[in-house]
Amino acid sequence: MKKIITLTLLSLIPLVTYASQDVTDLEGSFKVGPAIILIFILTLFLLVGILFRAKDTTDYYAAGRGISRVGSGMAIASNWMSAASFLGMAALMYGTGYHGLAYVVGWTGGYVLLLILMAGQIRRYGKFTAADFIGDRYYSQTLRAIAAGITIIISIAYAVGQFGGIGLMFKWVMGIDYILAVIIGGSVVLAYTFISGMLGVTKNMQIQYVIIITSFMVPLFILTAKFDYFWLIPQIGYGAAVQDIVEGVKIADKAGMLNSLGHHFAIVPSPEYAMPWDPSTGQTFFQWIAIAFSLMIGTAGLPHVIQRFYVVPKARDARWSVVWGLFFICLLYWSAPVYSAFGTILSSNPEVGKLAADAIVVYTAQLGDVNPLIVGLLAAGGVSAAFSTTSGLLVAGSSAFAHDLYVKVINPQAKPKTQMTIARLGTLLMAIIITAIAVLDLALIAQLVAIAFSMAGCTIFPLFLLGIWWSGSNRAGAKAGLIVGSIVTLISLTYLIGDIAGWVLPFNGFITYYLGAWYFAWIGAPLAIIANIIVSLSTEETPIEIRKFLIEKVHS
Amino acid sequence: MEKEEYRISFFKPTTLQARKNRNLILKLFIAWAVAIFGFQVLLRILEEPVPEDALIEFTGAWENIESGNATDSDYKTAAKSMLQVMGKITLEPEEFAVLKNGVGWSLSELYPDSDLHDLQKDVRHLNSLKEQITSLQDERYLEAKELIISKAAPVLDIGENTLLAHILAIGLDDDLQDISEESKSKIPGIMSLYLTHNRSVLTDTVFLGFPFHYFYSAVFLLVFFIGLCWIYCYKTDKLHTELNFLEQID
Repeated sequence: MKKIITLTLLSLIPLVTYASQDVTDLEGSFKVGPAIILIFILTLFLLVGILFRAKDTTDYYAAGRGISRVGSGMAIASNWMSAASFLGMAALMYGTGYHGLAYVVGWTGGYVLLLILMAGQIRRYGKFTAADFIGDRYYSQTLRAIAAGITIIISIAYAVGQFGGIGLMFKWVMGIDYILAVIIGGSVVLAYTFISGMLGVTKNMQIQYVIIITSFMVPLFILTAKFDYFWLIPQIGYGAAVQDIVEGVKIADKAGMLNSLGHHFAIVPSPEYAMPWDPSTGQTFFQWIAIAFSLMIGTAGLPHVIQRFYVVPKARDARWSVVWGLFFICLLYWSAPVYSAFGTILSSNPEVGKLAADAIVVYTAQLGDVNPLIVGLLAAGGVSAAFSTTSGLLVAGSSAFAHDLYVKVINPQAKPKTQMTIARLGTLLMAIIITAIAVLDLALIAQLVAIAFSMAGCTIFPLFLLGIWWSGSNRAGAKAGLIVGSIVTLISLTYLIGDIAGWVLPFNGFITYYLGAWYFAWIGAPLAIIANIIVSLSTEETPIEIRKFLIEKVHS
Repeated sequence: MEKEEYRISFFKPTTLQARKNRNLILKLFIAWAVAIFGFQVLLRILEEPVPEDALIEFTGAWENIESGNATDSDYKTAAKSMLQVMGKITLEPEEFAVLKNGVGWSLSELYPDSDLHDLQKDVRHLNSLKEQITSLQDERYLEAKELIISKAAPVLDIGENTLLAHILAIGLDDDLQDISEESKSKIPGIMSLYLTHNRSVLTDTVFLGFPFHYFYSAVFLLVFFIGLCWIYCYKTDKLHTELNFLEQID
């Protein structure tokens, strides 16, 4: 075994190629300071986890029941804020301007839907996983198994973007090739998930939130102060920078208004950065609306988000924790466009060229000549955001595999030890699949994550919405809705793969535009809901015990 | 009778609490939908494609150039407009190359023939230096750039310490004079694409430093979402107190 490991490691050595030393290269080689900060933070998470270790499974699941609403809100925010939030949103705005705000609006507006339509009811229903809810509400083992399968697929799709983010940050810290960085980063997150699997998750999430938000905010104060904008509240102060981008910034007489490459803090008038659906970005009004809508219903259908509401004492706490959670999430979402605005000005000289959008947060801090250790902290924050979400996704995916699929459907007699082994195997298998997809570098992080949202919007969201609010929705209707949602998903993903592979499929232009992979739920979800309603109305009614449960436990 | 009692539908609430809850949800949902989608639809209705000044100037100058009636001023205007687009970060590399070609050609039309060879030598020197240097602050590289700016910028009526002058220094091809018909035909399309924007009173009004529509989507909507969530929780708590509704803890 040792020989195999040694040979594998040796075979990887030639891949350790240092990034090219171009004059405008912002990657560089191995960075000692940022590496130490990264290791320190990851070790801190493990130590906190050990210190607040869960005593048993119930304690693990119900860890949030002993904490305040604010603490629970922080945990929701930490669970939610991934590489897509930390790195991906600024990347989208850097590349497509106002279009990127569809993601900001979509990923926050969805919480309103989640709160008013689901949070309290989900808590009162009293199940631990999305598959549990679907299996019980629609009295079907088949649907339970399918829901578990969908949970695994969504977790994988979501985690691909996270691995991409981890890879980018490891690439930046270590100065190595992207593929190797994904493999190393993925291995570290896998080991971290195995070690921290049963540790003090909720406590850890609060600490992770504080680190993520601090590392994200500090460079903003420095950048706004350095370039003469209102720095006390950078989230408002950058408004003048946006307007400056629109009107253009002339070369200033004042000393020190330079980026780290020696270019002036100046830009030609660039209204395309802020004007809606600008022709030069290639994005349209329809796409803005479709993305925002798909992300919102996806938010209300994501298994690992829904599961957070089971860990509060009562429905009232579930509701208030959403308010706090959303506030903490918004702190980051108000801030991400600041990086994009400064990144646009600081990299506007054609000598720099278009930067890799997904790393724009870190590049902006570098170009703004922020202290390297603070940039290192920022990169570590990005890794933390990806880590916290990825380990949550791996746990959610593997528990769907071990608990919902293996124990509930395949082998109900399974011993806890066997269940644990199956969960670990599931985690390992998922990590391998995720790594294999992530190294392909298929799209921007936020776009990859948006696929998971559309999947959830087409499949899980209709089942929860109708399952909670209409007792008439029955097993046959649920199956019909799921089939329709899955077909829309499959068509969209087939065309995405076809696009990447260079195939010309029938109606290629029409389908790739109207069923784009980042927003196909805009039509998939309504169609799934309609199919569910039609079939439910024409088949046998939901059993009385389910209806009684809905009335007495969920809505009374 | 029993069957009727155990039916639940969002649109047909059977209890006072359910009815009040439904009404609250509907109000918040409508406010949510109007705030998000209503505003974007309004933005879409009010917007008009508005060209930047640079495009208006370019279009006039380019027509003269294509018809063979161009004056020096037309070449200067066209080159300055193209430089302005070359400074945009959304520009694709192949489009940058086309405009680079256009700027070089416009400059060569204005530059004294006797000195053009020297300028070309300087451009080649700068471009070859870029391959050798390890920092953009390299003295030789900066000097080479300054030399080109001092020679070329005044010909195009561009101030030497301006952004356009800096773009000009790095935006010239080794071969200044040649421009292909293909490049020539592509230039107006590129200019129109990058210099036309959807604008309206909502995008041109400045609020707290932001273009208003940008502030609305990037800042206000998020505050509004938190507000909606807060109202829902507050009203629900109040409703539960009024109806003496106790939630189970399990």
